[in-house]
Amino acid sequence: MSGFYEELAEILEVEPDQVTADLRLESTSWDSLAVVSTIALIDEQYDKAVNATALAACETVGDIERLIAARQTESEA
Amino acid sequence: MISAIQSEGRTVGARIAAIATHLPERVLTNEHLAELYPDWSSDKILDKTGIRERRVAAEYETAGDLAFHAAEKLFAAGDCVREDIDFLILCTQAPDYLLPTTACLLQDRLGLGRHVGALDVNLGCSGFVYGLALATGLIAAGAARTVLLLTADTYSKFIHEGDKSVRTLFGDGSAATLITASNESVIGPFVFGTDGAGGKDLIVEAGGFRTPRGPETALAEADSHGNVRSREQLYMNGANVMSFSLREVPRTFARLLEASGITEADVDHVILHQANKLMLNALQRKMSLPAEKVPHHYEDIGNTVSSTIPFVLANLRDKGQMAPGRRLVVIGFGVGLSWAGASIVC
Repeated sequence: MSGFYEELAEILEVEPDQVTADLRLESTSWDSLAVVSTIALIDEQYDKAVNATALAACETVGDIERLIAARQTESEA
Repeated sequence: MISAIQSEGRTVGARIAAIATHLPERVLTNEHLAELYPDWSSDKILDKTGIRERRVAAEYETAGDLAFHAAEKLFAAGDCVREDIDFLILCTQAPDYLLPTTACLLQDRLGLGRHVGALDVNLGCSGFVYGLALATGLIAAGAARTVLLLTADTYSKFIHEGDKSVRTLFGDGSAATLITASNESVIGPFVFGTDGAGGKDLIVEAGGFRTPRGPETALAEADSHGNVRSREQLYMNGANVMSFSLREVPRTFARLLEASGITEADVDHVILHQANKLMLNALQRKMSLPAEKVPHHYEDIGNTVSSTIPFVLANLRDKGQMAPGRRLVVIGFGVGLSWAGASIVC
């Protein structure tokens, strides 16, 4: 997840070492643009399409990771 | 290769003979937007969207006006004379009137002959490719030889000034594209796609007949992200539009390559609808295309809806990259949801 965390840190406008599963998204710049950016990031790194509404409802970085883990890759879908 | 494709009957001897573009004068800069949206600096807007400024139509300046000026530039450049035009297509989502059709008014305003056919197409970011398909179809049917395709929109009139989710992205603008019958050049094949279930993801809900305007629809409210809009204004679910684009645009490209019997290596340039930097970079990576094959033009004009592709084509032409034999792919995608792609041999 290191590459993912680094990219996510940029989207959330925090330092990479601040990104942990417990990080609360509301304490970062998690807005509609960040959600859009994260959809593109997940697609690029995991070849997975997560549900946009479910992603927007995530409260922590761990929630995002669980959402990714629950999805099949697009090529399997 | 070209004759083999033609034998399948899916391409037409037609060419993009000329392009002219037009922008309204008023400029909306990131500095101005950053004053309105305190949590976004002008640098952040540029970094995320790739857009530095966009143009905005004046209060009484319509898409019909923008289309008119683009067409006049085409005539002024000497690329064709008015008498050559036998069909006029206007793609816009902001017509001058509910009726009559804006294209009919433009026939008169542009001094085109009364033998000209004219119609409007109500599509957004996919509209240029659909217009190209209609023009090519008219030429293939022998119904027209010279089609003037005008694309023009004024999304600024749909956007609340407090809605940074769309105001940072969209700009007003227009293009005039001349499509003529040709013995050497080829337009096609085309591939299309539609998903009306996503209609709600990019919508101006009130103002038609399903939801007429009234005091309630005029009420502007802030959403959970602090973006302000009424039901009479543009709403975009950016996350759903991103998901849709990442799903359908690469598929459209693959379908088009297959229908054309070519590979990516045969394509000189892939011209995607210029949504914004985030979208285009994500698509380019997903489609594994080298950056130099995917030209951009959004930094100084934003997302001009159905005119983004002709703005890029005009740049390519200026660099001599629409020389005879060059193979281009154009893909438009957006509101509808609607998408389409076409192969072009210049």
